[in-house]
Amino acid sequence: MSEPKGKVTIIGIGEVPSGKFPDRPCLQSCIEAARAAILDAGINKDEIDVVMPTGVFYDRRFNTDLIFSKLVEELGLQRKAKENIHVFAGGSSSSAMLKTACALITSGLAKIVLCVQCDKVGSAPTQLMIDLFATFGIPDEWETPYGFFMGATGSLVATRYMHETGTTPEQLASVVLSMRKWAALNPNAMLRRELTIEEILDSKMVATPFTVKESNVLADGGSAFIVADVEISKKVCKTPVYPLGFGSRTLHYAESQNHSLTDYGYAESGKEAFAMAGVSQSDVDIVEFYDGYPIYPLLALEGLGFCKRGEAGAFVQAGNTWPGRKLPMTTNGGMLGQGHTAAGGGVAVLVEGIRQLMGKAGERQVKDAKIMVETSHGGTFMDAHVCVLGNVLP
Amino acid sequence: MKEYKKPLPTPSPWSHPFWEGCKRHELLIQRCKDCGVKIFYPKLYCPSCLSSKLEWIKTSGRGKVYTFTVVYNYPPTEFAQDIPYVVAVIRLEEGVQLMSNIVDCAPEQVKCDMEVEVVFEDVTDEVTLPKFRPISV
Repeated sequence: MSEPKGKVTIIGIGEVPSGKFPDRPCLQSCIEAARAAILDAGINKDEIDVVMPTGVFYDRRFNTDLIFSKLVEELGLQRKAKENIHVFAGGSSSSAMLKTACALITSGLAKIVLCVQCDKVGSAPTQLMIDLFATFGIPDEWETPYGFFMGATGSLVATRYMHETGTTPEQLASVVLSMRKWAALNPNAMLRRELTIEEILDSKMVATPFTVKESNVLADGGSAFIVADVEISKKVCKTPVYPLGFGSRTLHYAESQNHSLTDYGYAESGKEAFAMAGVSQSDVDIVEFYDGYPIYPLLALEGLGFCKRGEAGAFVQAGNTWPGRKLPMTTNGGMLGQGHTAAGGGVAVLVEGIRQLMGKAGERQVKDAKIMVETSHGGTFMDAHVCVLGNVLP
Repeated sequence: MKEYKKPLPTPSPWSHPFWEGCKRHELLIQRCKDCGVKIFYPKLYCPSCLSSKLEWIKTSGRGKVYTFTVVYNYPPTEFAQDIPYVVAVIRLEEGVQLMSNIVDCAPEQVKCDMEVEVVFEDVTDEVTLPKFRPISV
């Protein structure tokens, strides 16, 4: 197998603020993020071999434009770019783009790949988006007739997890508290006010056990990263980040068909990712875990071996994942803090991890961070991806 | 029958027998004649061995609540009148899982692993939805 370690680097990142920006078209978010990543990488944009947009939910027409090379034209890459490849795996598009870019580079098909995301789900009417997302990954024949919707997907996992482990509502709420502490330090975050456990639990109940403050908020946003052959990075990049190891499992299409909702295959995918990277849990400085709802970071903490089964809630409640503490977690504030930009919620988490490893995270920079683990989930949390990245080669 | 305004399933050619079973108040699943695996939701081919030899069997209609949630706010538009309502994943005695609602029970009484049985709701002349209620001890 042609593994990426030592052959591939990430050399630039870009992002626009997340939030409600009704006057900022999708294309603007996309191009500003891409341009920022190109400037950050210090490359000549004409050297980009592959433009890799991911999907847009808000605007089907614009999504089709992205499939059909709109960005190639906007960036003036006609007859320079070899191809435009739309890579879309919902929330796990972050990992899907990174892995596809690594494969193109290690196989010699590309030297520089621009991965870019944007969406505008935040400034659309809330009920319209609830109804739209109720059609995403929810089988119309088998789940829609019973009133199931995206906003209840994490609840099904959390109910079973609480039943099996005795984890408390306060412990789940403490994940939001941690996310908001990080978001408070992130100028690109939508929800920058810190919350108390009481405020979180006393907010309106959406779908038990999760309240509205335990539910991600849809946002407009855009982010980008540039993946390159290591020889390119040696010329242009002072702070290269190396993809080191990957592992993943796909679990279901319909959430009701998942017979083991509280494990997510992290043990297997984590083992593969750590083995490929040549590191262990004790080497990890930062975890950038996909959230969406507070349950998923807990499953990741346990499944990847940072906590014993049933102990992640207490671990987070004790403040271990806060700024300046033992295991900084989801340091942009995640979708519970920075905002959920559809496929971009996960891309933003990955970009944040790269930002930390590049030492560009400003006020929330984790000192001397060398190894980072990122996770992502798409659809109705249909899969679990684990990516290990570093600014050193173990 | 009063007008039913919530989303209805659109049966496919291969799921049609399931919905016909519901109309007769029978909960059916598929079984592979080659490898014996029990299948829900209905498939064209056996997902275990890809055999085309699938048959329909009647279930006991009993199972347990694997997990659930009580929806209190921000549901899809068509369900706004129903809150609070319980969405649950039921694991049938036959081992397959399906999504449904728990009815005939206060939402706060629903628990994981609670024993439930199917109850059929004839929501239109054409469609019957399988719902579940606690098995009274």
